[in-house]
Amino acid sequence: MENNLQQQIINATQAVFDTMLMLPVTSGVALPDKVYLFNDSISGMLGFSGDVQGMLTIHCPQQIAFCITGQLLGMEVDGMDEDVKDTIGEMANMILGGIKDAFLERGTDISLAVPTVMSGRSYRVKTVDYASWTTVPFYLDDGEFLVELKLKTLD
Amino acid sequence: MELQKHITDATTEIFETMIMLEISAGDPVVEKINNFKCSVSGVIGLAGTCKGILAIHLPDKVAMSITGSFLGMEVTEVDDDVTDAIGELANMVAGNIKMILDEAGKDVTLSIPSCVHGAEYTLDTAADCERVVVPFNLESGQFLVELQVKN
Repeated sequence: MENNLQQQIINATQAVFDTMLMLPVTSGVALPDKVYLFNDSISGMLGFSGDVQGMLTIHCPQQIAFCITGQLLGMEVDGMDEDVKDTIGEMANMILGGIKDAFLERGTDISLAVPTVMSGRSYRVKTVDYASWTTVPFYLDDGEFLVELKLKTLD
Repeated sequence: MELQKHITDATTEIFETMIMLEISAGDPVVEKINNFKCSVSGVIGLAGTCKGILAIHLPDKVAMSITGSFLGMEVTEVDDDVTDAIGELANMVAGNIKMILDEAGKDVTLSIPSCVHGAEYTLDTAADCERVVVPFNLESGQFLVELQVKN
Protein backbone atom coordinates (compact mmCIF):
# COMPACT_ATOMS: atom_id res chain seq x y z
CA MET A 1 0.00 0.00 0.00
CA GLU A 2 2.78 2.43 0.93
CA ASN A 3 4.59 1.80 -2.36
CA ASN A 4 1.35 2.18 -4.24
CA LEU A 5 0.67 5.50 -2.59
CA GLN A 6 4.15 6.74 -3.37
CA GLN A 7 3.69 5.74 -7.02
CA GLN A 8 0.25 7.34 -7.21
CA ILE A 9 1.60 10.60 -5.80
CA ILE A 10 4.46 10.51 -8.33
CA ASN A 11 2.18 9.68 -11.28
CA ALA A 12 -0.37 12.35 -10.44
CA THR A 13 2.24 15.04 -9.75
CA GLN A 14 4.25 14.22 -12.88
CA ALA A 15 1.08 14.37 -14.97
CA VAL A 16 0.26 17.87 -13.70
CA PHE A 17 3.79 19.10 -14.38
CA ASP A 18 3.90 17.47 -17.83
CA THR A 19 0.51 18.56 -19.08
CA MET A 20 -0.27 21.80 -17.23
CA LEU A 21 3.08 23.34 -16.40
CA MET A 22 5.42 21.91 -19.05
CA LEU A 23 8.11 21.92 -16.38
CA PRO A 24 10.50 18.99 -16.02
CA VAL A 25 10.26 17.55 -12.52
CA THR A 26 11.99 14.55 -10.96
CA SER A 27 10.74 12.65 -7.96
CA GLY A 28 12.66 11.27 -5.01
CA VAL A 29 11.78 8.40 -2.71
CA ALA A 30 9.20 8.80 0.03
CA LEU A 31 10.70 10.41 3.14
CA PRO A 32 11.14 8.16 6.17
CA ASP A 33 10.18 10.93 8.60
CA LYS A 34 7.21 13.20 8.89
CA VAL A 35 7.91 16.83 8.05
CA TYR A 36 6.05 19.31 10.25
CA LEU A 37 7.89 22.59 10.13
CA PHE A 38 7.93 24.92 7.14
CA ASN A 39 9.81 28.20 6.74
CA ASP A 40 9.09 30.91 4.17
CA SER A 41 6.77 28.46 2.48
CA ILE A 42 3.29 28.04 1.14
CA SER A 43 1.19 24.89 1.53
CA GLY A 44 -1.92 23.93 -0.41
CA MET A 45 -4.10 21.47 1.49
CA LEU A 46 -7.15 19.58 0.28
CA GLY A 47 -9.25 17.17 2.28
CA PHE A 48 -11.21 14.23 0.90
CA SER A 49 -13.59 11.58 2.14
CA GLY A 50 -15.66 8.69 0.87
CA ASP A 51 -14.30 5.14 0.90
CA VAL A 52 -11.18 6.54 2.56
CA GLN A 53 -10.69 9.81 4.40
CA GLY A 54 -7.57 11.89 4.17
CA MET A 55 -5.76 14.99 3.10
CA LEU A 56 -3.38 15.90 0.32
CA THR A 57 -0.90 18.72 0.91
CA ILE A 58 1.72 20.30 -1.34
CA HIS A 59 4.43 22.21 0.53
CA CYS A 60 6.52 24.65 -1.52
CA PRO A 61 9.27 27.06 -0.53
CA GLN A 62 8.21 30.53 -1.70
CA GLN A 63 10.66 30.59 -4.62
CA ILE A 64 9.29 27.32 -5.96
CA ALA A 65 5.73 28.57 -5.58
CA PHE A 66 6.63 31.72 -7.54
CA CYS A 67 8.27 29.61 -10.25
CA ILE A 68 5.25 27.27 -10.57
CA THR A 69 2.81 30.19 -10.62
CA GLY A 70 4.87 32.08 -13.19
CA GLN A 71 5.00 29.03 -15.40
CA LEU A 72 1.27 28.32 -15.11
CA LEU A 73 0.20 31.92 -15.72
CA GLY A 74 2.96 32.77 -18.17
CA MET A 75 4.20 35.79 -16.26
CA GLU A 76 6.89 36.90 -13.85
CA VAL A 77 5.96 36.36 -10.18
CA ASP A 78 8.07 37.70 -7.33
CA GLY A 79 5.69 38.18 -4.41
CA MET A 80 3.20 36.20 -2.37
CA ASP A 81 -0.11 37.36 -3.83
CA GLU A 82 -3.55 35.96 -4.65
CA ASP A 83 -2.23 34.46 -7.89
CA VAL A 84 0.30 32.37 -6.01
CA LYS A 85 -2.23 31.25 -3.39
CA ASP A 86 -4.79 30.33 -6.04
CA THR A 87 -2.18 28.43 -8.03
CA ILE A 88 -0.94 26.38 -5.08
CA GLY A 89 -4.53 25.59 -4.06
CA GLU A 90 -5.22 24.56 -7.65
CA MET A 91 -2.06 22.40 -7.69
CA ALA A 92 -3.44 20.46 -4.70
CA ASN A 93 -6.74 20.13 -6.57
CA MET A 94 -5.12 18.85 -9.78
CA ILE A 95 -2.75 16.40 -8.08
CA LEU A 96 -5.51 14.99 -5.88
CA GLY A 97 -7.75 14.81 -8.96
CA GLY A 98 -5.19 12.47 -10.53
CA ILE A 99 -4.95 10.38 -7.36
CA LYS A 100 -8.76 10.22 -7.18
CA ASP A 101 -8.83 8.73 -10.70
CA ALA A 102 -6.15 6.18 -9.75
CA PHE A 103 -8.11 5.26 -6.60
CA LEU A 104 -11.29 4.85 -8.61
CA GLU A 105 -9.60 2.40 -10.97
CA ARG A 106 -9.04 0.24 -7.91
CA GLY A 107 -12.65 0.65 -6.81
CA THR A 108 -12.01 3.27 -4.13
CA ASP A 109 -14.27 6.27 -4.51
CA ILE A 110 -13.37 9.59 -2.89
CA SER A 111 -14.94 13.02 -2.99
CA LEU A 112 -12.89 16.22 -2.62
CA ALA A 113 -13.40 19.21 -0.32
CA VAL A 114 -12.16 22.69 -1.28
CA PRO A 115 -8.48 23.62 -1.04
CA THR A 116 -7.02 25.74 1.75
CA VAL A 117 -3.75 27.58 1.38
CA MET A 118 -1.38 28.34 4.25
CA SER A 119 1.67 30.53 4.04
CA GLY A 120 4.05 32.19 6.45
CA ARG A 121 7.57 32.68 7.72
CA SER A 122 7.38 29.70 10.02
CA TYR A 123 4.50 27.34 10.67
CA ARG A 124 3.88 23.76 11.65
CA VAL A 125 1.25 21.52 10.09
CA LYS A 126 0.14 18.47 12.03
CA THR A 127 -2.56 15.93 11.67
CA VAL A 128 -4.13 13.32 13.85
CA ASP A 129 -2.18 10.26 14.99
CA TYR A 130 -4.52 7.82 13.33
CA ALA A 131 -3.34 8.74 9.84
CA SER A 132 -0.64 7.21 7.64
CA TRP A 133 1.73 9.64 5.94
CA THR A 134 3.41 9.33 2.58
CA THR A 135 5.61 12.30 1.69
CA VAL A 136 7.38 12.41 -1.65
CA PRO A 137 10.00 15.07 -2.51
CA PHE A 138 10.13 16.49 -6.03
CA TYR A 139 12.97 18.43 -7.61
CA LEU A 140 12.84 21.34 -10.04
CA ASP A 141 15.78 23.38 -11.31
CA ASP A 142 14.99 25.99 -8.66
CA GLY A 143 14.66 23.63 -5.71
CA GLU A 144 12.54 21.07 -3.99
CA PHE A 145 8.91 20.73 -2.93
CA LEU A 146 6.93 18.04 -1.10
CA VAL A 147 3.66 16.30 -1.86
CA GLU A 148 2.16 14.59 1.15
CA LEU A 149 -0.78 12.20 1.29
CA LYS A 150 -2.33 11.36 4.64
CA LEU A 151 -4.89 8.61 4.94
CA LYS A 152 -6.99 7.68 7.89
CA THR A 153 -5.95 4.23 8.99
CA LEU A 154 -8.62 1.83 10.06
CA ASP A 155 -8.31 0.65 13.62
CA MET B 1 -27.76 33.40 8.13
CA GLU B 2 -28.26 29.63 8.10
CA LEU B 3 -24.54 28.98 8.26
CA GLN B 4 -24.12 31.35 11.18
CA LYS B 5 -26.76 29.46 13.15
CA HIS B 6 -25.19 26.11 12.26
CA ILE B 7 -21.80 27.30 13.51
CA THR B 8 -23.21 28.71 16.74
CA ASP B 9 -25.36 25.66 17.52
CA ALA B 10 -22.62 23.15 16.72
CA THR B 11 -19.84 24.97 18.58
CA THR B 12 -21.93 25.75 21.65
CA GLU B 13 -23.02 22.14 21.97
CA ILE B 14 -19.46 20.81 21.74
CA PHE B 15 -18.26 23.22 24.41
CA GLU B 16 -21.19 22.38 26.71
CA THR B 17 -20.96 18.64 26.36
CA MET B 18 -17.30 17.87 25.65
CA ILE B 19 -15.11 20.74 26.83
CA MET B 20 -17.25 21.88 29.76
CA LEU B 21 -16.41 25.54 29.21
CA GLU B 22 -18.89 28.37 28.91
CA ILE B 23 -18.71 30.30 25.68
CA SER B 24 -20.82 33.04 24.13
CA ALA B 25 -21.16 33.70 20.43
CA GLY B 26 -20.64 37.18 19.00
CA ASP B 27 -21.84 38.73 15.76
CA PRO B 28 -20.30 37.34 12.57
CA VAL B 29 -17.10 39.04 11.50
CA VAL B 30 -17.61 40.90 8.24
CA GLU B 31 -14.05 41.79 7.30
CA LYS B 32 -11.79 39.17 5.78
CA ILE B 33 -9.52 37.60 8.37
CA ASN B 34 -6.74 35.48 6.91
CA ASN B 35 -3.69 36.51 8.92
CA PHE B 36 -3.00 34.89 12.29
CA LYS B 37 -0.29 35.59 14.86
CA CYS B 38 0.85 33.14 17.55
CA SER B 39 -2.22 31.06 16.87
CA VAL B 40 -3.41 27.54 16.28
CA SER B 41 -5.87 26.69 13.50
CA GLY B 42 -7.70 23.39 13.22
CA VAL B 43 -8.92 22.74 9.67
CA ILE B 44 -11.13 19.99 8.26
CA GLY B 45 -12.59 19.52 4.80
CA LEU B 46 -16.25 18.87 3.97
CA ALA B 47 -16.98 16.81 0.89
CA GLY B 48 -20.06 15.23 -0.68
CA THR B 49 -23.05 17.20 -1.93
CA CYS B 50 -21.85 20.14 0.14
CA LYS B 51 -18.16 20.97 -0.24
CA GLY B 52 -16.23 23.28 1.99
CA ILE B 53 -13.94 23.85 4.92
CA LEU B 54 -14.43 24.26 8.63
CA ALA B 55 -11.65 26.03 10.50
CA ILE B 56 -11.21 27.06 14.13
CA HIS B 57 -8.66 29.78 14.82
CA LEU B 58 -7.42 30.27 18.38
CA PRO B 59 -4.71 32.45 19.88
CA ASP B 60 -2.08 30.22 21.58
CA LYS B 61 -3.37 31.19 25.05
CA VAL B 62 -6.97 30.20 24.25
CA ALA B 63 -5.85 26.97 22.57
CA MET B 64 -3.88 26.03 25.70
CA SER B 65 -6.77 26.82 28.05
CA ILE B 66 -9.25 24.79 25.98
CA THR B 67 -6.83 21.86 25.75
CA GLY B 68 -6.24 22.04 29.50
CA SER B 69 -9.95 21.93 30.17
CA PHE B 70 -10.50 19.14 27.62
CA LEU B 71 -7.69 16.94 28.99
CA GLY B 72 -8.08 17.95 32.62
CA MET B 73 -4.49 19.07 33.06
CA GLU B 74 -2.39 22.19 33.00
CA VAL B 75 -0.98 23.14 29.60
CA THR B 76 1.84 25.67 29.37
CA GLU B 77 3.00 25.42 25.77
CA VAL B 78 1.57 24.63 22.36
CA ASP B 79 2.74 21.03 22.10
CA ASP B 80 1.38 17.92 20.40
CA ASP B 81 -1.42 17.68 22.98
CA VAL B 82 -2.66 21.11 21.94
CA THR B 83 -2.44 20.54 18.18
CA ASP B 84 -4.13 17.14 18.60
CA ALA B 85 -6.88 18.66 20.75
CA ILE B 86 -7.54 21.52 18.33
CA GLY B 87 -7.62 19.14 15.35
CA GLU B 88 -10.08 17.00 17.29
CA LEU B 89 -12.12 20.09 18.20
CA ALA B 90 -12.43 20.98 14.50
CA ASN B 91 -13.46 17.37 13.88
CA MET B 92 -16.17 17.48 16.55
CA VAL B 93 -17.62 20.82 15.49
CA ALA B 94 -17.59 19.72 11.84
CA GLY B 95 -19.26 16.44 12.86
CA ASN B 96 -22.08 18.40 14.45
CA ILE B 97 -22.43 20.67 11.42
CA LYS B 98 -22.46 17.60 9.19
CA MET B 99 -25.45 16.24 11.12
CA ILE B 100 -27.31 19.55 10.78
CA LEU B 101 -26.59 19.70 7.03
CA ASP B 102 -27.55 16.04 6.56
CA GLU B 103 -30.88 16.71 8.25
CA ALA B 104 -31.36 19.58 5.83
CA GLY B 105 -31.09 17.08 2.97
CA LYS B 106 -27.38 17.36 2.18
CA ASP B 107 -25.00 14.46 2.26
CA VAL B 108 -21.76 15.59 3.81
CA THR B 109 -18.64 13.59 4.62
CA LEU B 110 -15.57 14.81 6.48
CA SER B 111 -11.87 14.57 5.68
CA ILE B 112 -9.33 14.13 8.47
CA PRO B 113 -8.48 17.23 10.49
CA SER B 114 -5.20 19.07 10.20
CA CYS B 115 -3.73 21.59 12.57
CA VAL B 116 -1.58 24.61 11.73
CA HIS B 117 0.48 26.46 14.31
CA GLY B 118 2.89 29.33 13.93
CA ALA B 119 4.13 32.78 14.91
CA GLU B 120 2.56 34.29 11.82
CA TYR B 121 0.75 32.61 8.98
CA THR B 122 -2.07 33.22 6.54
CA LEU B 123 -4.86 30.82 5.69
CA ASP B 124 -6.97 31.28 2.56
CA THR B 125 -9.49 29.23 0.70
CA ALA B 126 -8.89 29.16 -3.00
CA ALA B 127 -12.42 28.62 -4.23
CA ASP B 128 -15.63 30.48 -4.74
CA CYS B 129 -17.21 29.97 -1.33
CA GLU B 130 -19.85 31.41 0.92
CA ARG B 131 -17.95 32.27 4.06
CA VAL B 132 -19.15 32.91 7.62
CA VAL B 133 -16.88 33.62 10.59
CA VAL B 134 -18.35 33.65 14.09
CA PRO B 135 -16.32 34.83 17.10
CA PHE B 136 -16.79 33.10 20.45
CA ASN B 137 -15.78 34.56 23.79
CA LEU B 138 -14.66 32.65 26.82
CA GLU B 139 -12.75 33.53 29.96
CA SER B 140 -9.31 33.16 28.38
CA GLY B 141 -10.12 35.22 25.30
CA GLN B 142 -11.73 34.88 21.92
CA PHE B 143 -11.59 32.37 19.10
CA LEU B 144 -13.11 32.19 15.62
CA VAL B 145 -15.03 29.45 13.89
CA GLU B 146 -15.08 29.76 10.12
CA LEU B 147 -17.28 27.81 7.77
CA GLN B 148 -16.87 28.05 4.01
CA VAL B 149 -19.26 26.30 1.70
CA LYS B 150 -18.81 26.17 -2.04
CA ASN B 151 -21.59 27.85 -4.00
